[in-house]
Amino acid sequence: MHFIELVISSFAMLFNPVTLAYVIAGFLIGTVFSAIPGLTATLALALLLPLTYSLDVTTALMACASIYMAGMCGGSITATTINIPGAPSSMMTALDGYPMQQRGEGALALGHASFGSMVGGGLGAVLLIVLAPFIAELSLLVKTTGKFSLLAFAMIVIVIAQRGNMIKAAMAACIGLMLATVGLDAMVPVTRFTFGLSDLTAGLELMPVIIGTFAISEIMIQAGSLKDSNAVASAMSRVKAIRRRDFLPSFSSIRKIGVGCYLKSSLIGYFVGTLPGAGGSMGSFLAYVETVRTSKEPKSFGKGNPQGIAASESANNAVCGGALVPMLTFGIPGDPITAIMLGVLVINGIQPGPQLMAEQAGLIAPMLASLLFSAIVLIPLTLFLLGPYFIKIVSIRKDVLYGAIALLAVVGSYVATYSGFQMIMTLVMGVLAYYLRKNNFPVITLLLGFILGPNLEEFLRRSLTLSNGNPATFFTNLDSLFFVLLTAVFVYFLVIRKPLKSPVAAPQG
Amino acid sequence: MLQKKESNGKILFHLFLLVVSGGYLLTAFSLGAPVVDAQLRPSFFPILIGLLAVAFSAVLLSREIREGKESRPSANQAAASGDRLSYMIIGATALYILLFSLIGYVISSVLYVFAIMLIFSNRDKWLQKLAISIVIVGLGYLVFEQIFGVRLPALWE
Repeated sequence: MHFIELVISSFAMLFNPVTLAYVIAGFLIGTVFSAIPGLTATLALALLLPLTYSLDVTTALMACASIYMAGMCGGSITATTINIPGAPSSMMTALDGYPMQQRGEGALALGHASFGSMVGGGLGAVLLIVLAPFIAELSLLVKTTGKFSLLAFAMIVIVIAQRGNMIKAAMAACIGLMLATVGLDAMVPVTRFTFGLSDLTAGLELMPVIIGTFAISEIMIQAGSLKDSNAVASAMSRVKAIRRRDFLPSFSSIRKIGVGCYLKSSLIGYFVGTLPGAGGSMGSFLAYVETVRTSKEPKSFGKGNPQGIAASESANNAVCGGALVPMLTFGIPGDPITAIMLGVLVINGIQPGPQLMAEQAGLIAPMLASLLFSAIVLIPLTLFLLGPYFIKIVSIRKDVLYGAIALLAVVGSYVATYSGFQMIMTLVMGVLAYYLRKNNFPVITLLLGFILGPNLEEFLRRSLTLSNGNPATFFTNLDSLFFVLLTAVFVYFLVIRKPLKSPVAAPQG
Repeated sequence: MLQKKESNGKILFHLFLLVVSGGYLLTAFSLGAPVVDAQLRPSFFPILIGLLAVAFSAVLLSREIREGKESRPSANQAAASGDRLSYMIIGATALYILLFSLIGYVISSVLYVFAIMLIFSNRDKWLQKLAISIVIVGLGYLVFEQIFGVRLPALWE
């Protein structure tokens, strides 16, 4: 109850013009980056990460929350207008959004997407605010062996969530774990894998790993697919102008979609978000499938049914609230954005984990207030004010865009330590991530391996030390056994059982 | 020819992963015994990860070699040209990092942004692109040095 009051009182921080400016700027940057195919909110956050060094950490986290929320709904702009989802989480939105655009109802489709995002994002944030303190209290019951099993569970689920690509995902996770072992050992004063380089004694910095993996590699990937970018630009030029009044969905159409659809999709999105590695695309996919399954007119989906848009967008925005649950309560990021948000905490010397909600409630509450504010105020406001200009904004010249991104990325990596070595590491990580991505390795598992690696090793060693090297300790301690069984359940559902199939064809693009 | 080149590139990358994993594992072994008196030592976790990495990379390499023998229609001239542009980004960034501390933020950044803009477009209207590069670098200076108080290297300190 105390935490909920703290969140409510944190809304007052939004009356501070500087804080509000950062939250709004974050939201706009997140919207633009997620709307442009090829760019993502993750990239936006990676580029802005160095700037958080100079920002007050509370403001930085509030801006991160608004970028996150914007990143989940911005992708629907190009998904609807040109049938190319700006972000993977809007893939299902394209199925019904683009047919509506072809019928001349593109603005209305964006209005439905925005309304769905507002409801889903708002509900997800409220659930997070209400449930997170209880989960945080439960997380205090998890002891050393349980913590190892929980981290192992998170790593395994992230890997097996990359269906059809599991060995590559596991290999990428191993690379992340290998990078995490560089530097001074946490328990014994021994350096590992530094090869005589004193710059590596403290280990690899998080900043070059994030910027290299998500920014530098992205620039290289985009340079390699210039033809696709030109195709997007030419498709954009064919989109007709959108009028502001067309955005507003009628009350009857919202009633036809039904409160149940919004609620159910938001809940699906929220719970999918709590799973490591699942993310917005899985949330919107499952909500869409469920909506089609329970609909009286299943054949109308994929042909411009606003219910499909509402289900997909409610779910992917509700994922934001869900994904922050493991990050805030256990220090386990479920996706790249929460991983970077975790990075903001680490950079500022704040230890994520079960104690975070208790010890840093004053820091976390404003972030959740910003998340809720972004969902219920900034999503509809941005659509209404900037909607008619969306197409122009996302049609920005690629050479100018990537010139600016490259500068921000490389100089940003220098900002952390004023060191040329970190810039070199950023390039090295960028080249590694480029080749991994080119060969279809999911780099999210690399990042999570790098972030979770030190704790995974520490809890493994502590657990086995406490049990005199007996690995049975992971099955005899109840908290650990719970996560071992949970891992088995997930392996069954994600590896052994056949996957769900989309009820309608995937969007072309 | 291009198909074969792409396939060889993929095999080479997977071979690189195997070699790196093997090198990591050998270095991990050199850190000492993994368990001493039922206590896990600093080499235990790296050995475990190294073994997994070697196993995964070996499976992926063998799979890549097997698939490389079958024909793949994905490679084309555009992919080769895309790769060239990506390598140019690597080269430009490496040069920028070298020049950044030598000649300072302003000149090196203008050259870098200009180079990236040329890579992402063509060589026409280069004066306009140079002007845009100067504006971007100026804005970058404003953001980093003036707003966020970051000290950027200058030609003359």
